Amino acid sequence: MEPHASSFVSKARTAFHSAAAKAERVLTDFKIDLDSDKQFHDDDFGMQRGDESARSENESKFRNELKHIKWRPPGIGTKQDWQDRINNIRKGRKEVEVTDKVGDVNVGSVPFYDENLYILNVKNDLDAKASEAIPTVEGLTAATKHPIPPSSVLKQLAIAIEAGRQTNSMKDFVASSPAREKAGLSISSVKALVLREKEDKLTSEFSSDEKVVYLINSLFDQEGEFLRRKINSDPEETSISSLPRDIHGAPPESLVVKLAEVIGNFKTLRGMSLFWSRVVDELRKHWSEEKHLLGVPPDDIPDLKSCLLYQQFQVINCCISRKRRHIIAIESLDSMVMEANSNTSDSANYMGRIPTSPLLYARLRTGELVLRLGADCPSGDLTLLETGEPAYSPVTQEGPLLTEDLIKETEEFVLRTGSVGAGCSQLLSDMQAFKAANPGCILEDFVRWYSPPDWMESEGSTEDRDSFYGGESMSSRGQLSLRMQKEGNLWRELWETSKSVPAVKQTPLYDEDLAVEGILDAFEDIQPSELYRQLFVSLLGLGFAIAETMLSGDIDTSKLFNDCKEYIVTTSQSDGFHEKVNELVQMYETVEKMLLNPDKALKMMKHMEESTMTTDEPKRRFSTGEPKHRFKRFSHIFGGKDKLLTPVRKDEVNDEEKQIRHSFSSFFDSKSSLFSKKPPKPGNLYPGEQPLSLERLDSYLDKVQFHPI
Amino acid sequence: MNSSSGQSSGYDLSFKILLIGDSAVGKSSLLVSFISNSAEDIAPTIGVDFKIKMLTVGGKRLKLTIWDTAGQERFRTLTSSYYRGAQGIILVYDVTRRDTFTNLSEVWSKEVELYSTNQNCVKMLVGNKVDRDSERVVSKEEGLALAEELGCLFFECSAKTRENVERCFEELALKIMEVPSLLEEGSTAVKRNILKQQQEQPQASEFGGCCS
Repeated sequence: MEPHASSFVSKARTAFHSAAAKAERVLTDFKIDLDSDKQFHDDDFGMQRGDESARSENESKFRNELKHIKWRPPGIGTKQDWQDRINNIRKGRKEVEVTDKVGDVNVGSVPFYDENLYILNVKNDLDAKASEAIPTVEGLTAATKHPIPPSSVLKQLAIAIEAGRQTNSMKDFVASSPAREKAGLSISSVKALVLREKEDKLTSEFSSDEKVVYLINSLFDQEGEFLRRKINSDPEETSISSLPRDIHGAPPESLVVKLAEVIGNFKTLRGMSLFWSRVVDELRKHWSEEKHLLGVPPDDIPDLKSCLLYQQFQVINCCISRKRRHIIAIESLDSMVMEANSNTSDSANYMGRIPTSPLLYARLRTGELVLRLGADCPSGDLTLLETGEPAYSPVTQEGPLLTEDLIKETEEFVLRTGSVGAGCSQLLSDMQAFKAANPGCILEDFVRWYSPPDWMESEGSTEDRDSFYGGESMSSRGQLSLRMQKEGNLWRELWETSKSVPAVKQTPLYDEDLAVEGILDAFEDIQPSELYRQLFVSLLGLGFAIAETMLSGDIDTSKLFNDCKEYIVTTSQSDGFHEKVNELVQMYETVEKMLLNPDKALKMMKHMEESTMTTDEPKRRFSTGEPKHRFKRFSHIFGGKDKLLTPVRKDEVNDEEKQIRHSFSSFFDSKSSLFSKKPPKPGNLYPGEQPLSLERLDSYLDKVQFHPI
Repeated sequence: MNSSSGQSSGYDLSFKILLIGDSAVGKSSLLVSFISNSAEDIAPTIGVDFKIKMLTVGGKRLKLTIWDTAGQERFRTLTSSYYRGAQGIILVYDVTRRDTFTNLSEVWSKEVELYSTNQNCVKMLVGNKVDRDSERVVSKEEGLALAEELGCLFFECSAKTRENVERCFEELALKIMEVPSLLEEGSTAVKRNILKQQQEQPQASEFGGCCS
């Protein structure tokens, strides 16, 4: 709780300086201090003056007073206690006056009283805002009894998408409504400094808030039980899996979906953004500690049909797995080499391969034994052409983990430069690994393993003895394909360039550290609308996936549901996604009501459909081709641009959006008690605390400034 | 599509086409044969390569970016990236090697299902090397049946004699243009490219010349 105290102390300091500014001589000193402050970046105005000790003493008393106020239980304290407190403060002021050498500063008791109340009010406001804005683990867990996430959560994400389109950086949300600094005005400078300091304090407060810590721990550390909902996927397994991917969302029960539900429950854009920063910190921690993310497969290549955020989580987990394997592989190779070196001293006694030894050797044509490095398993019945030894498939480097954005970048790079570097790098790496595992091999051996169609066996070579005669053996047993024999073939050039190096000792083709750092940096700099759009789509996919199983038994609601589903798939894949976010929310609300009150919801929808048929509207075309008839009617109902005629509330005929809402409102009026548990509606577009406190600060400073001397 | 944008880019639509199939079935030869009327032996592809061809079909000027992939199994991870966003995919087999035909359904159609992000992409089965009729082991009827099963167009051709080569690509382009969502993607790509060029070269006097 200490940060609160220091925050108030800084405001108190501001108040003192403002009061001091009234005297002509003090104001002059203040300007000098300001210049000095600009030069040395010293926040303590006036601390370098002759009255430093007096001010310091007074601040110390004030700080103690603050602590006393804070620790006192709310509501306890009689009027007399307040009077005594104020009297003590007044005495402190008098002491300052007595020792002040620069002249009399007569500050009335009324402004000082206001200072006190102002600080208390700010404290109360901050506490109220903090407790309201941050969702609790208990609250979220209770919400999982709701069949699908409440539509209010989706609405909050929709609001964030819209707000985020006007900014490129998540940091802008954290620092929303910044104070404008005017050159030359010291009061404005003070305001800006105070606000900046306040924001820093609030940010650190947010991260250490116990509710936030508990949320983070629940998301990342529990055994996957947090926010788990029952999804009966047995009867509709195929269709369940397709919907989240069709709309480029994330799998149900995945970390992305849970993250969407948590962030969507915050009441302020600022809170949402601060929580995302906290999540990124936690991801960095998992990466540095090599801990897999729960709710993401531990070792899968990116699923390009899921959203980019999910792909990036997959890469993080996959890179953790690879680093672990790499460490094990290096240790294994090193111990093998050490063992081989110790065996060398006993080479005189070695007369053949020791059956139980894990070491693998290959004998060269000279009879020399060479240790195989990075050999994986025998390559079928293949034997090396020159030595007759069995050919081994080597351990090879794993391929790159490309998310959709990197794939696009790579393709554009290849198109622009004509580079074949990626293929050549991999081929060279594989050649080097093959040489390390198969001492005495030649290019023909590699081709027989790597590209069998490029080796042409000759017929009639039945004598085994021929395989031990070098040149004759090659010509009699087979040859490279014509295309592989061509002059200037890059394969041969790479082969002659390659050294004998096992895969684990090679320069990595794909650098896990670089890849994950790139992802985490991208998370920090992510465009807000891009983040919230992915969370929105993922949560949308979850709701529909669950609803699909619950509604599949009922023919009528199932048809209606499928129309909704088809609409969201089409809309999510189109370019005009941002214009249709509100329509998607309404679709979700429709499905939500179908689950909670299926009979009446169905009647209402049928009624609306019937009324739609009476209208004479131009047919709309969709990019996917001929839409179904029901789909057309449905799009009319929810299309923002279409005017909908309905007998309900004829006076609102020109305002479709209100109209639809009113229709639903009147429909559910009689059942208002059923929805009393609904979470409160999402707050304002921007955090309310910021303008409120700014307004109060301005108001107070204005009073102080215009108070007669 | 207005005429001014057409003139500034030199083509109306831009499509991405991918060639896949076992190693040595003749994917690269097929591509080179289509691009430059050449019929020589092509060294094995390392990773991926591409060619760009300007084409006029159905009254439209098309820019085809055709990606050629290495068929060796070890390159599969690398080549899988290039399935993304392809409007057309050509699955090639060698009529003189039955395993290349078998692998179309056992390997390559599964790769398409796994990596293609375009549900509406047009697929075409191509049996190559029909000039070696004496060595043929896969009949045309078998090819047709598999194409029908996989939902593909079907052609047999020879990169060496250039039999049916141009027709393959033209037919594929026509089918792509018949799919509304792919047509939309093709024109969107052109607009994006025009905008990009205008940003890069504000003073450019003209755009022209085909990629060879």
